Amino acid sequence: MEASVLYNVPHDIPWKVFIPLYFYFTGLSAGSFILSTLSTVFGIKRFKPMALPAAIISFLLLLLAPACLIVDLQQPTRFWHTLVPEYFNPTSALSYGSWLLTLYPIANLVYIYFIYVKNDRVTKIIGTITVPLAIFVHAYTGFAFALVRARAWWHSALMPGFFLTSALLSGIALLVIVAMIMDRLRSEKLELDLYKSLRIMMIGILLTDLFWTGSFWLTLLVSNSDGHASILLALHENFYLWGEIFAGMLVPLAILVYPGTGNNKIWLSFASVLIICGVFLMRYSVVFIGFDIPLS
Amino acid sequence: MKPKRWGMIVDQRRCIGCHSCTVACKSENNVPLGYWRSWVKGLQKGDFPKVGNMFLRRLCNQCDSPPCVQVCPVQATVRRPEDGVVVMYYGKCIGCGMCIAACPYDARFFNPIRKTADKCDFCASRIENGLEPACVEACVSKALIFGDVDDPKSEIFNILAAVPTSVIKPELGTKPKVFYIQADHSLKGRIQFSEDFKEAIIDYRKSIPSPDATYWETRDQK
Repeated sequence: MEASVLYNVPHDIPWKVFIPLYFYFTGLSAGSFILSTLSTVFGIKRFKPMALPAAIISFLLLLLAPACLIVDLQQPTRFWHTLVPEYFNPTSALSYGSWLLTLYPIANLVYIYFIYVKNDRVTKIIGTITVPLAIFVHAYTGFAFALVRARAWWHSALMPGFFLTSALLSGIALLVIVAMIMDRLRSEKLELDLYKSLRIMMIGILLTDLFWTGSFWLTLLVSNSDGHASILLALHENFYLWGEIFAGMLVPLAILVYPGTGNNKIWLSFASVLIICGVFLMRYSVVFIGFDIPLS
Repeated sequence: MKPKRWGMIVDQRRCIGCHSCTVACKSENNVPLGYWRSWVKGLQKGDFPKVGNMFLRRLCNQCDSPPCVQVCPVQATVRRPEDGVVVMYYGKCIGCGMCIAACPYDARFFNPIRKTADKCDFCASRIENGLEPACVEACVSKALIFGDVDDPKSEIFNILAAVPTSVIKPELGTKPKVFYIQADHSLKGRIQFSEDFKEAIIDYRKSIPSPDATYWETRDQK
């Protein structure tokens, strides 16, 4: 039987574009930090020239990220409430997140200092401590969504993993661009092997992201009414289907996989730019498609 | 003393859709224009000449396991252990909006004057002083019954024991303390789609089974 709502009170979406921007910046930061530790902690010498620029980028993005969060608050001057131990809520992902967001930039700064003074032993120790922080600082954002049971689009155990892999993806893509710029500016050229390994990593993570996306689609299509509806609404969103999935994942994947374009630096940077934009759209669609279904 | 557990029954058989509760709530709690702590949802079912107008009183469901309390990063909203009411501490609230996103009943909103999240708290200042919430007092047809759901001597306890009641979205495990008598399934916070998607949605429905997904079946299908 057809029923139509004559009148109802929907409430406004509480967030603005700063929230996906925040996820995007922490993701980029965590991704480039992990890339920076590949040489310093995990000992892959090929990535050595990337260690310092990646760490510095990661730190700069970390200054932007909490700024976005604070700008989005209705009471920006009260942001310090999240750091009062008495107010700590052990069931809230945001509570852990605000502490992580405070500790991680500090650890990051110390790490940058020791790379700068070329003290490899201490760098390794600090880096080892900071890697889990970097992972958690981004995974918590996934948990912030996964723990909301009201919204089927968010309430998924895949969310933290998806956030982490796309963080790594955007971090690598950003570093490809930075490597290109470094190549232009510096006299000593970077090895071609570096680009090759970055490219292979991007292909691997893109495939993982597509796997996550497919898992989301399948589980939501046979989920309860809200979940079913949210995936159908999502597939009608142009920025999701054409932006995130097609332009942000499939096109760069095709460019990277095909050897003729994947080994070409211009195509490689084009794919990286597409990936960077696609990952932002992924954050955007996670946040705002979640609000597509009215709950009242 | 045994802790109280305040709850409310909304008797849909008695509700006439006069919106007295909405008005009383707004004036009691000084809710800004364009925002509502509680409201009455209106709905129309059926085809001419068999048409029904229905109303669903919406307010904070005062869950025993509240998703909004779970996500608050600063404990600005808590379920009071002494009476089971979910209240806001406005001075603590940073306005991050997580509770608004997490509420399965869309009962929360940003108060534009206070600049914090806001919600129905069963008129906390009134019930602390032994009064009933403003909406219950204003209801013209006694469709709202308020009381301690754990007290066997209270009216609400007797009705809950004798009359079939339902809650909104029980599958989420929020354990709401707002009970509805004779609330239609189509009324209870279900999704309404715009016309654009109906074709596509019905196409998908044909090939993929989805439990509980009947609300978009149109009259063309019959």
